[in-house]
Amino acid sequence: MANGILKNVEIKGIACAVPDHLVNNEDFFGVFGEESVQKFINMTGVKTRRVAIDEQCASDLCYVAAKKLMERLNWEASTIDALIFITQTPDYAVPATACVMQHRLGLSDECIAFDINLGCSAYVYGLWQAATMISTQNINRVLLLVGDTSNFGINPNDSATAMIFGDGGTATALEKTEGKDIKYFLKTKGSGYKYIMVPAGHARSRSQTIVDKSEYELSMNGADIFNFTITDVQKSLADFMAENSIGKNDVDMYVFHQANLFIIKHLTKKLGIPIEKVPISIDRYGNTSGESIPLTLVDALGSEQSDDTIKLLLCGFGVGLSYGAIYLEMKKSACIPMIYTNYYFDGVDKK
Amino acid sequence: MTYKEKLNLLEELLLIEKDTLDGTVELNSISEWDSMAVITTIAMFDSVYNKNIKSEEIKQFKTIQDIIDKME
Repeated sequence: MANGILKNVEIKGIACAVPDHLVNNEDFFGVFGEESVQKFINMTGVKTRRVAIDEQCASDLCYVAAKKLMERLNWEASTIDALIFITQTPDYAVPATACVMQHRLGLSDECIAFDINLGCSAYVYGLWQAATMISTQNINRVLLLVGDTSNFGINPNDSATAMIFGDGGTATALEKTEGKDIKYFLKTKGSGYKYIMVPAGHARSRSQTIVDKSEYELSMNGADIFNFTITDVQKSLADFMAENSIGKNDVDMYVFHQANLFIIKHLTKKLGIPIEKVPISIDRYGNTSGESIPLTLVDALGSEQSDDTIKLLLCGFGVGLSYGAIYLEMKKSACIPMIYTNYYFDGVDKK
Repeated sequence: MTYKEKLNLLEELLLIEKDTLDGTVELNSISEWDSMAVITTIAMFDSVYNKNIKSEEIKQFKTIQDIIDKME
């Protein structure tokens, strides 16, 4: 499997922006029935969610997070060498949103900018990509933006998807730093590509003259995703820890993709991890796709002032099927407090 | 685990009143047998019996007895 160590790279800061708009799942009593909604809340853990207004894109939330983070770190736009944007809800089919963001954030024309299409595993893949560039290339600073507005394209009458997702955008600043390493493993199980899917809307179905509306909506096979998590993900994570001699005392916080509370609890139990070391954000923010790991970090550590370091094991898994984990240390004070915003791009970004 | 204990475990898992299920009950007749129940059933097989049951296999289950037959 793809695993290894990337040297001389550190996370300097993480910011997260979520929509102002708060949705309470109890508001769905009238749609799906009180008993059914309560059962859903008990199992998934999702009580409230932050949902983007129609005009608000993932890029807008990432923009707000990035601006705040650059200001906090005193990073001049001209000093950023690369921008990576990971989303499944880009602004346009063409061009890559990263190019739009390079312009909006006022980054240098010398800056590398590209999109990656991943969801639940986005953050661990993004950290690996950013760290690889810093560790092996003449690149000092990378801005990693991970965000999604997953409620776009959801069927409001499908109880499996209508109440689960929250929206958000994150920015993570990585910089070349002597003596700081990142350990990782990354994997793919493409045989499960249909488990989470929006079948229509892109090139595969372009010759179809009549497409069922539901083909444009997200479909999710919860049972098989659960199976994948408790078998492939659990085993790979346990192997990764064993092979890298990462003992349970070597981890201060295990941050899992916030897929569903039942899945997180089951995975935690199977791995023999104390639940106190597993922060949860899904109860207030929903399943926040690729940004769920940095969002959970910001939620847990956003008010920390201490420059002490914290040892983190981050694990993303889901759509693709794609999965992986990152083990690293960062300062507790790296996360800045959660940002709530109704901002969206109307063609003019305030500099 | 005795037969009765297995039935009670399924009742607990499906959030059904205790001592109301028997092996002949058809899964389609239970309103509580939904996509979430399928996931909790997979979790039960994993944690109690260390068995990996795929959703395709669960789709073949017609009655409570079909589940109990796998609980070993």
